[in-house]
Amino acid sequence: MELELGLALPSSDLMMEKSTFCKKRRFDEVLDENTVTLPLFMQREEDSDSDRGFERSSEELNFGGGRVIVGWPPVKLSRRRTSCVKVNMEGIAIGRKVDLSLHDSYQALFLTLYTMFPKKQHEEEDGAYNSYKVTYEDEEGDWMLVGDVPWEAFIKSAKRLKIITY
Amino acid sequence: MTYFPDEVVEHIFDFLSSHRDRNNVSTVCKAWYLVEQLSRLRVFVGNCYAVRPERVMARFPGMKCLTVKGKPHFADFNLVPHDWGGDALPWIETAARCCPGLEELRLKRMVVSDESLELLARAFPNFKSLVLISCEGFSTDGLAEIATHCRGLRELDLQENEVEDHGRQWLSCFPDSCTSLVSLNFACLKGEVNTSALERLVARCQNLRCLKLNRAISIESLIKILARAPNLVELGTGSFTADHRTEAYQNLLNAFYKCNSIRNLSGFWDAAPRYLQAIYSICSSLTVLNLSYAPAIQVNDLIKMIRHCFKLQKLWVLDSIGDKGLAAVACACKELQELRVFPSDVYGTGIAAVTEEGLVAISSGCPKLNSLLYFCHQMTNAALITVAKNCPHFTRFRLCILDPVKPDPISNEPLDEGFGAIVKSCKDLKRLSLSGLLTDKVFLYIGMYASRLEMLSIAFAGESDKGMVYVLNGCKNLKKLEIRDSPFGDAALLENVGKYETMRSLWMSSCDVTQGGCKALAAKMPRLNVEVINEREESDEMVENPSDMHRVEKMYVYRTLTGPRDDAPDFVWTF
Repeated sequence: MELELGLALPSSDLMMEKSTFCKKRRFDEVLDENTVTLPLFMQREEDSDSDRGFERSSEELNFGGGRVIVGWPPVKLSRRRTSCVKVNMEGIAIGRKVDLSLHDSYQALFLTLYTMFPKKQHEEEDGAYNSYKVTYEDEEGDWMLVGDVPWEAFIKSAKRLKIITY
Repeated sequence: MTYFPDEVVEHIFDFLSSHRDRNNVSTVCKAWYLVEQLSRLRVFVGNCYAVRPERVMARFPGMKCLTVKGKPHFADFNLVPHDWGGDALPWIETAARCCPGLEELRLKRMVVSDESLELLARAFPNFKSLVLISCEGFSTDGLAEIATHCRGLRELDLQENEVEDHGRQWLSCFPDSCTSLVSLNFACLKGEVNTSALERLVARCQNLRCLKLNRAISIESLIKILARAPNLVELGTGSFTADHRTEAYQNLLNAFYKCNSIRNLSGFWDAAPRYLQAIYSICSSLTVLNLSYAPAIQVNDLIKMIRHCFKLQKLWVLDSIGDKGLAAVACACKELQELRVFPSDVYGTGIAAVTEEGLVAISSGCPKLNSLLYFCHQMTNAALITVAKNCPHFTRFRLCILDPVKPDPISNEPLDEGFGAIVKSCKDLKRLSLSGLLTDKVFLYIGMYASRLEMLSIAFAGESDKGMVYVLNGCKNLKKLEIRDSPFGDAALLENVGKYETMRSLWMSSCDVTQGGCKALAAKMPRLNVEVINEREESDEMVENPSDMHRVEKMYVYRTLTGPRDDAPDFVWTF
């Protein structure tokens, strides 16, 4: 499946431009009917003390039908698998990191990726419209195209991402 | 008892290994107290704020091994703010002055700075063993100090600590003359280590029996290490994945063939299924297997492996094992005593992994089961009643239903009867964690039957103060009570204030206890520290206009000989 990332300039209207950025029909075809909507805000163990004042940690949010609660389920930090993966883009030396667990769908992920690697960094001289593919390395070390498997399976197996030109 | 010389009494006391037994004999009479205090070698301090280090070391001048615990248990789940306390330095400093013969130090949930580790490394010439569990505050620089200066170090055991990575050179700090290591566990370190230094260290420490590698160690390195340490008994495998597409498999197989002594396996972080087959040859000797950090292992590969593990006593897995996998465990592992099933999908997006069926299967297949930690999506009363009947020997029973107020999905009732059956049947139960929909009734049962219970964890349970009161009045051996998000208030808190002096500590968060209640408790019981943790932005307002009616967000009460602690941060108020 080809993923075409629209190259609009980054702006605060990014959310409004989502429809041009992500061709919704294609995603609907590919993804499961039952994608679960994850909350985008969670209590993060990595939060430093300075953040605590702003993020009221006892907010209750959607938890697969219930709520997300601080310190629940009671597992130690070391067991909360970090869902951060490195992202590199072809031709750009400095990579980024993205937390997969803060996204509920491929759509949301691509939005974040687009924000991280805006057009200015990779504009072709002739202004040609570039297509990109997002690929990932799975647990067996193979590079696969993002989007083929259900989202839940993807976040468990993805080790890192690479955006390549097509 | 007729007259015995002190040496004889002391010799008799040598047979008492538990600190509780020693505490008891020391209260019999003055003579016994004196003999006991001079001969106690292993000292246990369950709460670092209950007593001052000076007092401990004055009483036990012969101390060789010290264990100290710091933060309350709920700190593991992020409920205790970062700078709350639990500093290890005062203990290490005092020991350096008073007990320089110290050989072993075990710390749990304490803040250990690099400065503390440096002092530890230099102040104790006979130091042999350092065990740090769930600690934080140090970096690999501190470890470098330990490696450099502790001549004759036998054990460095780092379990689930938060360690800052300042580079890989710490391991190279073990001098060439260091050949004494018996146990090295650095599995919790995130950074890389110098693998050739590690291989050389392993090669020269011929007595090494326990080695737990971190995730940064690949299969290629593991193979080289195993070649140099064929007598290992406990192994943490590292990532268990190959750096390159080399033919690691055959080499791995050969390496494990030679390791006839391995009884305890853990690690497997990135284990790909094909490498698991390499360990089938040692599975039949294993007594402990920890696969709880190995999310990539599929059920069917797990089952194939488990079938060989007929001597297994302790198994830790992820809930991706499913009820089907647990049924396979029940068939194969007849010696199983401890099972822990951790959630693989902490954010709750996946399909249900294990249910009550898996637990029932285990209970009927593994009659020796006595310790359980089980994260699941649902539980029924019928299943718990069956489990209680099949396994009356539980000493530790911790059930965590991921939706914390979920009723029995079949009957839609609370799980009071199920847990009631557990406490009634398991007369030796020492530790219990509850979850699911629960009324006050479950606490009535606990108060009535759980007479040996020492630690109870409650979350989102109960309906009224009566629940907590049943427990306080009933469980005569209760030492630690921790409660969160339950409707217990001042009336319950103040019902039996004397009880708290018989316990190590009480934690209550997001309950209905008010500031007034805390003050009243503190006023009645001067030998308790009643600490309230205030993290809110409104705390300034509260200081200016404190109201006894304000609900307290987090309260920690513990008996102490020292009075209010002098290192309490701003957000901790002691009443």
